[in-house]
Amino acid sequence: MGNEKLPYAADAESPLKPAELQVLRSQYEKEGEYVSLQTKFNYAWGLIKSTNRPDQQLGVQLLSEIFRASPDRRRECLYYLALGNYKLGNYGEARRYNDSLLDLEGGNLQAQSLRQLIDEKVAKDGMIGMAIAGGVAVAAGVLGSLAIGAARRKR
Amino acid sequence: MASTPPSSNPQDSGLAYRDNNENSILDPRQLEALGRTAYTTASQLISAHEPITSEHYRNALNSMHRSLRRPALQRSVFSFAQANPAQLLRQNFNVTEIEHRALTYLPDSLLKQVPESNSGFSLLDGFKASLPEADDDSGSEGRRRRKHGRHNSRGRRLLEDEKGPPQLRDLKRSKGRLDHRLEMMGIRKTMCSAEIKEIDAKIANLSTMRSVVLDRLAGLEQEEHDLEQEIMEMAEKVEDMQEQADEEEARSSVTNEDAGSVKREDEDGEPPGFMSASIYEKLPKEPSSLPSSTKGKRRKPTGYRKTSMPVLHEHLDSGSRIREMQAHNDIITALDFDAPFGTLVTAAMDDTVRVWDLNAGRCMGMLEGHLSSVRCLQVEDNLVATGSMDASIRLWDLSQAEYNPNQGTSINAKPSASSEDDESDALFTPTTSSANGEEIGEYAASASTENCHLFTLESHVDSVTALHFRGNTLVSGSADKTLRQWDLERGRCVQTLDVLWAAAQASTINPAQNAGAKTPTGAESAGTGGGWWKPAAGRVMNAEADFVGALQVFDAALAAGTADGVVRLWDLRSGMVHRSLVGHTGPVTSLQFDDVYLVTGSRDRSIRIWDLRTGGIYDAFAYDAPISSMQFDARRIAAAAGEDVVKVYDKTDGRQWDCGAGVLADDQTTPKPSIVEKVRIKDGYLVEGRRDGVVGVWSC
Repeated sequence: MGNEKLPYAADAESPLKPAELQVLRSQYEKEGEYVSLQTKFNYAWGLIKSTNRPDQQLGVQLLSEIFRASPDRRRECLYYLALGNYKLGNYGEARRYNDSLLDLEGGNLQAQSLRQLIDEKVAKDGMIGMAIAGGVAVAAGVLGSLAIGAARRKR
Repeated sequence: MASTPPSSNPQDSGLAYRDNNENSILDPRQLEALGRTAYTTASQLISAHEPITSEHYRNALNSMHRSLRRPALQRSVFSFAQANPAQLLRQNFNVTEIEHRALTYLPDSLLKQVPESNSGFSLLDGFKASLPEADDDSGSEGRRRRKHGRHNSRGRRLLEDEKGPPQLRDLKRSKGRLDHRLEMMGIRKTMCSAEIKEIDAKIANLSTMRSVVLDRLAGLEQEEHDLEQEIMEMAEKVEDMQEQADEEEARSSVTNEDAGSVKREDEDGEPPGFMSASIYEKLPKEPSSLPSSTKGKRRKPTGYRKTSMPVLHEHLDSGSRIREMQAHNDIITALDFDAPFGTLVTAAMDDTVRVWDLNAGRCMGMLEGHLSSVRCLQVEDNLVATGSMDASIRLWDLSQAEYNPNQGTSINAKPSASSEDDESDALFTPTTSSANGEEIGEYAASASTENCHLFTLESHVDSVTALHFRGNTLVSGSADKTLRQWDLERGRCVQTLDVLWAAAQASTINPAQNAGAKTPTGAESAGTGGGWWKPAAGRVMNAEADFVGALQVFDAALAAGTADGVVRLWDLRSGMVHRSLVGHTGPVTSLQFDDVYLVTGSRDRSIRIWDLRTGGIYDAFAYDAPISSMQFDARRIAAAAGEDVVKVYDKTDGRQWDCGAGVLADDQTTPKPSIVEKVRIKDGYLVEGRRDGVVGVWSC
């Protein structure tokens, strides 16, 4: 897979115009049960680019269907799945897909940059977690010491 | 992607925070409020219990509160564009989120099976190519791309192009645009071919599924047929038992009665075979006025015929062989069948008429009585009409045949000279062995169909070459150059139409019309009619051509095609020709019409489709040899045109194709399939009779 053929994560942040998305959607709906792979992908990618969370979820779902159905497209799908999950904030999934793509194509620039992005996000998440945990610990400490102090004073 | 901007001024950064995090769930104010609440609660607690000594706790809380109020810290803790605590909560505890995860989760085993892709274009290419192209080509896509400014060679090129004179720039830009479009075209093309491949794969998959289901259908149909036979047998047994019981009862009650009544009873009990042809001729009553007891018994099986509709042939591939049998040893002169997988009647130059069970592919018997070979016949339900060279027309009722396709026990089977039951068939294997079947076939020929004859119509003075009946009206055409209309209820000729007279009338009333039928040479044929009579074309006017080649009747409307190439539409109420369709340059050999079109086949090698409303030609096409037979169903026109295949014209898509043994046969096949003489088609079920007496059944 040439590196030219995958979009960077920034591309996923630019939503399509509603009219454009509508075109993709109507094409997808028109083809019905025997929808072609490309049409499905078009719609899925359009959805992932959207800012609407349910849309993004549907996009990821369609992509996972494509992944199951057509082995030929799995590599590409891995990246898009990683990207979609990244946008959804499911960093665990995103990392899983992205890493399995990187296992296959170590030199994939898009995947590399996506890994960085995910790492950044996860680091922040970690900070949040630590902050929360720290806050809880402080509160517990305060309360605990209060309780101990109170007990000591009563005695 | 909100990163922390360096900020010294708290107010400024607070604003920036709001701007950057419009979609963030938590508001900084809420955070402050939270901090304040925590502070107040804690200080309350502390002050309540130890107002003085726990000063350091208060200090600690104060400092924490202060630090929380500092926007920079707030941001560093909570300001994330996509992931704030609320989102984390949502991801882990929201039902739809969990559902979504379950739906989209791909197991590791799948992740490992990721082959190298070998398609010509990437999905993204396809995506770009299928987005609607804006008029200003470097529109949505291009602009966005440039905005992000990454990995877009075109964007870069456009930037480079900014230098130079404006005209050159414009030109280059439009060239770039066109290049881009060309590229997109290439991608679209690859997309299309990929899609076609995809569809092909799907079709292949579907067709294997189809063949599996088709096999199942064949099995079911066979089973259904067997069951029906069983039911029929049972019903007959029940009938017999009932009759026996009735007879016993009647006999016991009759013993004391007088001789007259006994005699009458004897008459009733006589075998139905006693009713010979001569009696019917003397008593020209309708078939239904037969003695009721006999009729009741004989007609009983009719109720059990064809309760099921065979549909298998509709699903077989076009042109696949259903059956082939050596029906006769001579040229097939006429054949017809009632329904797909029903009953077939064939007539050949060997002067025999045979009845076939198309489902089992076996001969049910022979229709004997004609003194010469049968030239035309029609089967409709159980009624068969045959027209012969002996100038007579006979009517037969096939429901009178004592035929049991499943069981072949015969007491006095006659050994026969010609046993022609050919059971070479792939799809349907008859239940009896073929050696046994031959004998039965011959036995049946003599015994089981002998009661079928209803009556004979004898008024023609030359061979009957065409007939057609519908309801109670039968019309026959003969070499004596007349058409006769018969009332089947009364078994009498009700009208005679003289074709020559009608033609002469037409030529005197409207000479121009008749002139159309003349050949350019105007060659006169000797002795066919009066001096006015001109054959349509000298080269095909030979002894073989029947004067009346084909006819069809519908209520009072009659269409008849004759050797002069003219198709005349008669009104049976007035007995006049009300329209002549002139166009064929050879004798008309076959003809059929529905509510809109009339289709004719002629020895001039052409098939013509006429519009009945306008009387004009709707369509016409020609083959390489004279058409000897033609019939159409809802979709196809099947014609025998002197080849070893049946020519089929698909009306829906205008396709011409061949169906028959000649298609399957290659050079090695010996003997080569014979030329198809007669053809019949009903609901995509095609039966053809050849010169060597073989009858082939095909789906098309």
